[in-house]
Amino acid sequence: MAGSDLGMSATGTGHGAGNPVAGGAGGAAALGEGTGGQGGHGASEGSAAVRVGPWLFVRLKLRLIAGNLRGNGMRLAGFIFTVIAAVAVAFFGFLVLAMLRLAPQDVATDVATVLLTAFLVGWAVVPLLAFGLDDTLDPSRLSLFPLRAGQLAAGMFAASVTGVWPIATLIIMFGALAGLTSGVGGAILGVVAVLLFFALCIVTSRLVTTALSGVLRTRRGRDVLAISVLFFVVVAQLPNLLLNGGLANHPEALLHEVASVLRWTPSGMVAHAITGGGPTALAELALVAVLVGVVGWLWIVALRRALVTPDASTEAASVRNSRGLLARVLPDGPLAAVAGKELKYARRDPRGRVGWFASIAVTGLMAFSLSRGDGAAGLALAVGPACLGAMMIGLQSANSFGIDGRSLWMNSMVYGTGRAWRIDLAGRHLAVATIATPLLALLAVVAAFLAGDLLWAVPAALSAWGVLGVGLGVGALTSVLVPYTVPERLNAFTGAAPGQGGVAFAASMGAMIGGGLLSLPIALPVLLGVTWVSVLAVPYGLLVSWGGRRLAGDRGFRRYPEILAAISQGS
Amino acid sequence: MTDIAEAVRTERLLKSFGHQVAVGGVDLVVPRGSFAGLVGPNGAGKTTTLSMVTGLLRPDGGVVHIDGLDVWRDPAQVKARIGVLPEGLRLFERLSGRELLSYNGQLRGIPRAEVQQRAEGLLRVMDLTESADKLVVDYSTGMRKKIGLAAALLHNPRVLFLDEPFEGVDPVSANTLVEVLRRYTASGSTVVFSSHVMELVERLCDWVSVMNRGQIVAQGPLDGVRAGRSLNEAFLALVGARDGGEGKEGLSWLGATSA
Repeated sequence: MAGSDLGMSATGTGHGAGNPVAGGAGGAAALGEGTGGQGGHGASEGSAAVRVGPWLFVRLKLRLIAGNLRGNGMRLAGFIFTVIAAVAVAFFGFLVLAMLRLAPQDVATDVATVLLTAFLVGWAVVPLLAFGLDDTLDPSRLSLFPLRAGQLAAGMFAASVTGVWPIATLIIMFGALAGLTSGVGGAILGVVAVLLFFALCIVTSRLVTTALSGVLRTRRGRDVLAISVLFFVVVAQLPNLLLNGGLANHPEALLHEVASVLRWTPSGMVAHAITGGGPTALAELALVAVLVGVVGWLWIVALRRALVTPDASTEAASVRNSRGLLARVLPDGPLAAVAGKELKYARRDPRGRVGWFASIAVTGLMAFSLSRGDGAAGLALAVGPACLGAMMIGLQSANSFGIDGRSLWMNSMVYGTGRAWRIDLAGRHLAVATIATPLLALLAVVAAFLAGDLLWAVPAALSAWGVLGVGLGVGALTSVLVPYTVPERLNAFTGAAPGQGGVAFAASMGAMIGGGLLSLPIALPVLLGVTWVSVLAVPYGLLVSWGGRRLAGDRGFRRYPEILAAISQGS
Repeated sequence: MTDIAEAVRTERLLKSFGHQVAVGGVDLVVPRGSFAGLVGPNGAGKTTTLSMVTGLLRPDGGVVHIDGLDVWRDPAQVKARIGVLPEGLRLFERLSGRELLSYNGQLRGIPRAEVQQRAEGLLRVMDLTESADKLVVDYSTGMRKKIGLAAALLHNPRVLFLDEPFEGVDPVSANTLVEVLRRYTASGSTVVFSSHVMELVERLCDWVSVMNRGQIVAQGPLDGVRAGRSLNEAFLALVGARDGGEGKEGLSWLGATSA
């Protein structure tokens, strides 16, 4: 908002790109804040037009970050939290990779290969899914400036590199250098290798987001993404499943197997180039460099196309004007209104769908992979996944008002008491429970079936419902105490309001830890085999959720202007 | 409390964001039953003032009374009396227009049958019947303003606050909005709307408050504020229009074929 205005108010004058006669080097454009006010500065041939280099975009990105943090303590805290997390990750990542020096060389190379692959895949996928980690400039905002696609790409690249997480990634990659290389020549080659691979990560990430940006702007595309989230969750679980299957035999053999498959991928070549050195390494690096060039070129092509492709998100469709079952059962009033609206949103809003799909997928996988492992008692295999599923679903409510975002003013215009906010939360909980109760029962049956005894479904379902209640109760509190904005559109360019990622993380961590601790009294005995305790789970869950609503309702009423402000950042 | 003639009265209303004072002690007065315009240049603090008056933004200081009731002490009472159409207009995008109205009515505890009847009437007057089952996310700006106004009117409030209701609205929709608002004030209710289109304010309002840099610089019946001039002239004089020779000098290169 303020930040982007600040950044984008930089004025651009100059010759149109693609006019090779008039412009100086690179479609000369003056675009910068330092030069604007000094009179007489313009696009005339006589005055020296400032060349637009990547450095300008770096400054712009830094300004955007700073502007977004200004005058908002909460976001500043979130940002500091992110920085601390990134520093920690960078430090320990570097350490772990550097310690590969202690391992035999072939093992070290294999480990580095696998890890580098994980980085590459992560960079390609995570920005699509975890918004806010990579908030780069939206190229469509720059489309009116006379910049060539190449210039724009260089600038966007520079802006993409500017950030906490990219730098952390680079540091970790240098850990691989420290862990693998030998000799001065190897080190020099290694630096080149690491930089090339880092560039590859960034360019690939940009290519993926840019190429998909058009798709992500349509309603249909976002629906597809909602389903693809499932796919990515499955893929993320792959190593886990593989390890579960292979760990019993030979971890080293498995590692070697995976690494040899990846030998001729960029990560394999880079890892080997750092370790091996020599002419082979040079050839490998040359190949990677070519790859960076090709991906970069594809990115520019995609960028050029994305800039002139219209936003196609306005296909109108009518909805059935039907009252749900819940609305028919409930008495008229705010409770029915909120619950009905929430149920519609779970169906119609892609963000709602993503949440539900993700929690179902994660739980299903968890149940599946747990049941394949051995060691745990049979009953726990039925109860554990069901409770985890309840927790996952409960976590969705850790920021109940987030999806409403700015439109919550409509509710806050009506509610004049803490009780009204309590009823609002109750409506939201009711909607979640309507979907989750049968779902958890089903999950309990499946988990019990996989665990070996269908009867275990009964305690599993009961405790899962209890845990859900606890999750909702704790979520009600975090919803009013640490609310944050859920990005309006699943657009790959605009992430969460920059800096709020930390707040979001704090909210879900708080909900998870609080919910986990409060769930222990019912979940733990059942997990340990004292099944009759599960009878108490549902009343306990109801009690906790009621208590949560009670506390949260009053707090929500007292600080609703602040909640409104927190959930309407950005967009 | 029946002798209170003012629908809205604020005293020394204050709000700053960081070091920037957005609203610096505003005493806004709107008599009951008037069609009042809150005018001012961009950044004068109109939206901030209206947000604080309607209880959407917490003031740093000062009091707000609506129908003699303190907005921040007596929120339940006040909220039942006012209708709001905020700026930017975030609505529940994934509801259809009809669902949005019924959601609103139900939140306010109006019986369902009554809500339905009122909603159909409003949709018809606003010329939205055909799009009533489309999602709000697919509405145009004019349609959004109309459905927003319908939602704000649904519970028949005594005072209606509209922030830039005519911005980005096509002439046909604007005409509909004006018709509805005229009918509404004719029954004795109060409308307060912010705008920077002087012609519109001049045409519609009988009461004007002029804001500039977080202060009320003039306030009163339209003719009093105009004092014989057009409202636009009076406004430019009040806010101290900033142009003149200097500005033209500074932009000497603009429009020049070569320098």
